[in-house]
Amino acid sequence: MQKIQKPGDLVTTLLVGLGLTLLAVGFYFALAAPPDANQGYLARIMYLHVPSAWVGYLAFFSALLYSAAYLIWRRPGLDRMAAASVEIGLVFLGLALVTGMLWARPTWGVYWTWEPRLTTTAILFAVYVGYLVLRSAIEDPDLRAKASAAVGILGAINVPISYMSVKWWRSLHQTQSLDLTTGKVHMDGAMVLALLVNLAAFSILFLALLRLRGLLEKRGGKLVSEA
Amino acid sequence: MTPPLVKTEGLGKRFGQDWVLQNLNLSLERGELLVLLGPNGAGKTTLLKLFSGLLRPTAGTITHSGTPGFVANPPAFHRHFSGLENLAYALRLAGRPVDLAQVSDALSQMGLPPAKAVMNYSSGMKKRLALARLSLLRPDLWLLDEPEAALDTEGRKLLEGMLSEARKFAGVVVATHERSWVGQASRVLTLGGGAG
Amino acid sequence: MNRTSQVSVTSRSGAQPALFGLPRVFWLAWRDLTLEFRGRAGLLAAVFFLATMLLILGLALGPLRSDLEKAAPGVLWVSLAFAGSLLAGRAFGLEVEDGTLDDLLLTPGSKEWIYFGKFLFQLMLLLLVALALLVMTAGLFYLPLKAWPALLFTVFLGTIGYAAISTFYAGLLARLRGREVLLPLLLFPLVVPVVLAAVRATAGLAQGLPVAEVADWWRLLLVFDAVYVTVCSLLFPLALEG
Repeated sequence: MQKIQKPGDLVTTLLVGLGLTLLAVGFYFALAAPPDANQGYLARIMYLHVPSAWVGYLAFFSALLYSAAYLIWRRPGLDRMAAASVEIGLVFLGLALVTGMLWARPTWGVYWTWEPRLTTTAILFAVYVGYLVLRSAIEDPDLRAKASAAVGILGAINVPISYMSVKWWRSLHQTQSLDLTTGKVHMDGAMVLALLVNLAAFSILFLALLRLRGLLEKRGGKLVSEA
Repeated sequence: MTPPLVKTEGLGKRFGQDWVLQNLNLSLERGELLVLLGPNGAGKTTLLKLFSGLLRPTAGTITHSGTPGFVANPPAFHRHFSGLENLAYALRLAGRPVDLAQVSDALSQMGLPPAKAVMNYSSGMKKRLALARLSLLRPDLWLLDEPEAALDTEGRKLLEGMLSEARKFAGVVVATHERSWVGQASRVLTLGGGAG
Repeated sequence: MNRTSQVSVTSRSGAQPALFGLPRVFWLAWRDLTLEFRGRAGLLAAVFFLATMLLILGLALGPLRSDLEKAAPGVLWVSLAFAGSLLAGRAFGLEVEDGTLDDLLLTPGSKEWIYFGKFLFQLMLLLLVALALLVMTAGLFYLPLKAWPALLFTVFLGTIGYAAISTFYAGLLARLRGREVLLPLLLFPLVVPVVLAAVRATAGLAQGLPVAEVADWWRLLLVFDAVYVTVCSLLFPLALEG
């Protein structure tokens, strides 16, 4: 990772360094922040859960932009970045789902509940797993880029519609009224700071990972074409 | 001055890592017959598909001015439709009015039965049906992939008559292995490389 | 390898009579329906699959009438989604089996009309299946058909949304190996809003709620339909070019 020689990659190196440093600082803040009044130490999972979910959604938004850009300019690099965004997004969204479930078990007594945000996130996860499966199924690079750009765009458009449908569906189905936002009635200043630092760290790490993944793909592609 | 029917500049096509065609510069006018020769895998069909617009070039540009028509080898039709239905729908989907008497005429000129389902056609009959389709659609650019294949002597005569008729208003490109085409050609392009 | 590639198509349809709009869309849908009925492969298989599925679901969820009634709207739409995924491939399966996709793409003009023609075909197939399904669910799961105009309207809105996406993906995957597996995988997560909204609207109507109470779900379906028909028809020409 440190042996990147091209001058342009200095940015990537800096981003990785900054992201990791902030992550360490954020980790310290997260452990130093006071426990939540209602949930106690359990609330600390929030410092991992919220930034992961945020990066997940950010990544899919980035995939939407790169996909649309690919369809306009048809540059293979844009397709690579879209794919990289989706891969990173799935990792972080998976992390958000797992931490969410770990938090839900002691809090609500169940690992899974049909809460709108949770359900939308699961649907989104399925959409982008489909994206990666589609990519692996197509050998022709141009066709693969076009097809996955279409899936990337349709998938992102689906996010708000999915969310609305699941939210209304729940609201008319009054059996439980659990919401991930409950339990955060009051947040201490130290908690807000810890959360913000972690959000920043995760966002910067997202950019760093995106650039790294793009570079790897580019070099991989070059190796194949030179062989 | 009218622009050429098709003009390519630095045209190239790559499948995966292999360049099938590279740096091709040519243009075709109405009335011309371009014959494409070359071994299997030399890129004849690819070039026809680039001319038709079915494929996008990897490099260079291709400019069209006129509708293309394509006779594939072997040509494709809907099996469950008769020859008449296949031709009628080809016209309708091209946005043309359909005169069924005219369509049956085109069929009988090629010696084809109107009502027989295409799944019961021989490969020679399918070729004739494809030619009948082109004569009805009257495209500006006739693209034929090994048109003589599967045709009998009478069929080849019909094909030749049809092409000399077509050259009065259209340009013709023929991809073939038969050197006999060279005599009528206004231009011959031999593609190399490929599998050979 | 840094060559630029562009295609400029100038007045390609210049010599053609100006008949490119609706007639072609209807002819394409009509042609495909005719072919589908002559080939008989897809539609019958889908309906029999549905009948079997309803029997199994009935056995699994029954035999209490109240249980079956409660499950009916969900059963209706999940079955329709499954049958739809069987039928989705038909829109382009016909062309791929006969090898005629290239000829369709060679028709003059831009390619959006092909999407609308195939969409209309898919919609007709789905509506036929949905009607059969409504009758079967009414018989086996006691779904009340009293509010049938509103039920039909719900079915109509739901199938539009489903067909919009399934037609697009069927075209996108038309030339790929393994499309039968990929199609449902890509399709189902996207149609979740359609299935949810349609189930809730159907359930409301089955409980005898007034139309005003289910209108919100219709509105959601309408938004979904409008968004996806528009986006899919715009993206479709890109999906088909070689």
